Amino acid sequence: MAVYRRDTRGRFLLTAVIVSSLLLITIDSGNGSSAVASLRSTAHNIISPVQSVVNDAFQPLRDVAGGITTYGSLKNQNDALRRQISDLRGQLRQIRGVGNELPELEKLLDLPTIADATGIVARVTAGAPGNFERTVTIDKGSSQGLRVGYPVVTGDGLVGTITQVAGRSATVTLLDSPTLGVGVRLTTSNTEGITVAKAGDRNLTIGFLSDSNVKAQKGELVLTSASASEAFPPDIVVGTVAGYSKAAQDLAPTITVAPAVNLDDLDFVKVLRFPDPTAAPRGG
Amino acid sequence: MGLRRIRLVLVVITLVVLQTTVFTHLRVFDAVPNLLLVAAVAMAYDSGPLSGALFGFAGGLCIDLFLTTPLGLSALTYALTAYGVGVFQGGVIRETRTLAPVLGFVGGIVGSILFVVIGGIAGRGELFALHNIQVIVVSAVYDAVVAYAVFPFVRWAAKTDVGRAWPGR
Repeated sequence: MAVYRRDTRGRFLLTAVIVSSLLLITIDSGNGSSAVASLRSTAHNIISPVQSVVNDAFQPLRDVAGGITTYGSLKNQNDALRRQISDLRGQLRQIRGVGNELPELEKLLDLPTIADATGIVARVTAGAPGNFERTVTIDKGSSQGLRVGYPVVTGDGLVGTITQVAGRSATVTLLDSPTLGVGVRLTTSNTEGITVAKAGDRNLTIGFLSDSNVKAQKGELVLTSASASEAFPPDIVVGTVAGYSKAAQDLAPTITVAPAVNLDDLDFVKVLRFPDPTAAPRGG
Repeated sequence: MGLRRIRLVLVVITLVVLQTTVFTHLRVFDAVPNLLLVAAVAMAYDSGPLSGALFGFAGGLCIDLFLTTPLGLSALTYALTAYGVGVFQGGVIRETRTLAPVLGFVGGIVGSILFVVIGGIAGRGELFALHNIQVIVVSAVYDAVVAYAVFPFVRWAAKTDVGRAWPGR
């Protein structure tokens, strides 16, 4: 009789656990709930000071490990980077030529630009705690004015976008996360598309191309596209074309893009207030 | 609240802090260990399937707060994995020195597969990726390694106070 009672109670508790979990998954899978967001925010607020301390403790170790493992290749890398700088200077001059006309055109079209966005510098304090996501945690949050959807950049280019915000920290989903697609354009042809990331692949591909007959050169710059509804300001460097292929039977080419930012080695990032909540409504 | 429960809460807090701070810097081949999953398996081994499931649910829920996947996904997968291991060990397993890493590895594989499958069904289709097979295997090996430390920690916390017993054992 005692065994029967324990079994019944056990089954009841296990069923309660399963049902509660499924209920939570259902609630959070939809548009999300404010109660869940608030719980997450509280948990992040509690853990963020510890993350900062641990990050500080690990920084020297990371530097030493990085120095040891990359020492042999540093000289070659230096030479390669010098060549790359020279190439990029040339490309920059070319882009500046084209870019002179761009602000005027953007104003005419009333598109938001990167100049409209003010930024907040933040420090990366932790990577993803789970196995199946590409995120980092930064040490600025809603108390510094950050909001979900704000773009995150470094000097090299686009890093990702903010997907969760707590009071003193925020979660940034990285550009190479399969959950994030960014509207981009190829600089030579101005063909637009959306980045598609695959788990485990640091490179991106461009899908949904506006011109399926487009040709792309290796090394061609890929920038965020300019459109009124875009989540990112236009003309932020996303990366460079790393590969182009189109088989006879393919409807569209496969264009591979190497991100401009090394997303595995982020220290400081800049969060752009975009669209700026204090700015006057555009087009009105 | 009995001493045992306080110790178990302490285990959850410690492992959540380690998972969200230290181990985010110790990623190997894109994988980190699932400390709370290993702890739930250890709990199931030590105190039975139901205790393991309840501990897995609580621990998974805590770690879910720091993930971008739906809240409750880790809670469900950790609870089911721990329950399965608890049922299995009740009939078959006997204590050996390699038991902790073996259970950590098996728990890691089962838990991660459940996470991917249930998460995929719940709308996170990107979890069904070939690369995640590698992540699951490396993560399970990592789980086996950390099991050497997590199992004694949970065993210390789960030891029954005199005159008290954990429900469901």
